Amino acid sequence: MRPGHAITGAAIANCLGTDHGAACARAFAGGEAFSPGGGFASFPFATMLGVMPSPAGDAGAATDDDLVDCARTRLAAIALASVRQLAPAVRAASRRWGAGRVAYVFASATGGLEETERALAPDPRRPPAHAAYRYENHGIDATSAAIARHLGCAGISLAISTACSSSFKALAAGIRLIDRGLADAAVIGCADSLCRTTVFGFHSLGLLSPVATRPFSRERAGITLGEGSAYVLIERGSDATWRHALAGVAGVGGASDAFHHTSPHPEGIGGQLCMRQALDRAGVSPNDIDYVSAHGTGTQQNDAAEAAAVARVFERRVPVTATKSLTGHTLGSAGLTALVLAIESLRRHEIPATLRVAPADDALPVAVVDGPRPGRLRHVLVNAFGFGGSNASVVVSQPSARRA
Amino acid sequence: MTSAIGPFQVLGAQLYSTHHASAEDLLAGRERPFTPPAFRLLVGRARRFTSLVTQLHIEVCGALGGAAAAAFAVFATCHGEIQTAERLVADFRDAQVVSSARFALSVHNTASGVYSVAIGSNAPTTTVTGGNAIAAGWLEAALTALDEERCVLLSIADEPVPAVLCGPTEPAGIAAAFLLAPATAAPPPAGRRAQLAIEACGACAEAAPREALGQAVAAVGRAQPSRITLGRIHPGAVLELQIAAEDAGR
Repeated sequence: MRPGHAITGAAIANCLGTDHGAACARAFAGGEAFSPGGGFASFPFATMLGVMPSPAGDAGAATDDDLVDCARTRLAAIALASVRQLAPAVRAASRRWGAGRVAYVFASATGGLEETERALAPDPRRPPAHAAYRYENHGIDATSAAIARHLGCAGISLAISTACSSSFKALAAGIRLIDRGLADAAVIGCADSLCRTTVFGFHSLGLLSPVATRPFSRERAGITLGEGSAYVLIERGSDATWRHALAGVAGVGGASDAFHHTSPHPEGIGGQLCMRQALDRAGVSPNDIDYVSAHGTGTQQNDAAEAAAVARVFERRVPVTATKSLTGHTLGSAGLTALVLAIESLRRHEIPATLRVAPADDALPVAVVDGPRPGRLRHVLVNAFGFGGSNASVVVSQPSARRA
Repeated sequence: MTSAIGPFQVLGAQLYSTHHASAEDLLAGRERPFTPPAFRLLVGRARRFTSLVTQLHIEVCGALGGAAAAAFAVFATCHGEIQTAERLVADFRDAQVVSSARFALSVHNTASGVYSVAIGSNAPTTTVTGGNAIAAGWLEAALTALDEERCVLLSIADEPVPAVLCGPTEPAGIAAAFLLAPATAAPPPAGRRAQLAIEACGACAEAAPREALGQAVAAVGRAQPSRITLGRIHPGAVLELQIAAEDAGR
């Protein structure tokens, strides 16, 4: 396999918890974290949500005025929950490489839509917008300058938004910056916050499940929306960085369905192409992959198309799990959230279970992991597919695997 | 401190403005009445539901001959589907209803998705956004062309921001598309040899987006060498597009 890029820091925050370690522990324990409406808002239809506990108004010990100000938005508060945990690793990288050599790439699907909604369509049952509305808070990059400065990243700054594949497109962009010598390290971050417009939007498309999502189940009925953030620090591979690496990004692939804006190609053509590309770039074969962390949204069409694509690429019943049954669908953060859980699975040598699968859909040609499964893990393939037929896959590997 | 990215080739450029007939008119400030794009690539439902920013992207991509052959596509937009987003929230406020079609087309990568469906391309796409989207889009496109050693389509577009959001007040919808190729391709493509340069510039004024687009398109069609400031790429530096004299790459 090829050396890849070292992942030297990782953090998530979502409905499972705002502390990375606790959230991972809860995920691998199969903890349920959804609730009706999630205490977030009331809706005239049944739905479950994965709401992050207490994200609002917490800038931690930050003294940077801009950071404190931007942390009053829900998006920034959600992002900061991960940022604070990753900060020591990023600051160490800044000392190692120089702040100007650390890039910051942020991804989100909805950005500050919640802030705009609070200004234009205030909910009488919820606190009003934090102050006078500022258009800048709507943008995908609304939080970037303040967070990059807080982390000590003074390198190239990019923002990416490709719906639910956003975070993997951001990861690919960060890797390109390192490969072309424009950075030595890159912070890849993503966050998405719930808002009523998004919940109503997915409901209007008929994609929301009235009960907690059941990916790959015969009785699956749709998505459970969630919110959260995920951040990783990637660094140029060197003996020093590999010594403290959590894992390696071995290969990233991308492809378009070219079929329909919101419905997947029935055979998952785009998914097949991007999985093959990720495997090829990683220099590994399908047989080297220990399990697939599926996009697995829990809709009839998406799960069927993804299962077809996985079966076509792997030509065996490769173990498949869907972490959205734990975190909910965190939209632009979904890919990186699943990737961070895959890194944790490599550390634990355990595949996280997909919740609520039974009865499994026997028509789907994949082996869904429906309970914790220990095993020696070396390589995991993670999928993130989105609106616009935008597909991306990443192979993440044990740090030791690069020497194989 | 200067870092160069390249060289690469710019094989073609197209610009469309709802208020300007050409790049030269845009740069000279000669306006015309609002003229929506024809966006001939789209038909039926896809045509009816798309926003102005997506129409603009489709118009310039369609006009750029050979763009469909690009192995990768980078779309860039400062504001994304801002008119659709504002209408979604307004509809929700007024009637507690969100249109499924409008919601589906509200994501920043709507244009890239619509385009890939329209031309039947499985090529990967990405959408770069934010205040520095023009510079960031150029950077992502050039790096991709160099990394993949294949042609890359770069499309940059924005529509006016609804007044109720109190954002920028640019009245025109403007788009520009460029076809990039690695300079090492064999046989060498017939384009303009170019590179990007990251120039240290802590106190530089921000680049004006529409002028940067107009200058870049005009420069591709000119014989003389050109240097265009595309925008800030990190706190202490701007990204510059440097186009060589016409015969330098032949």
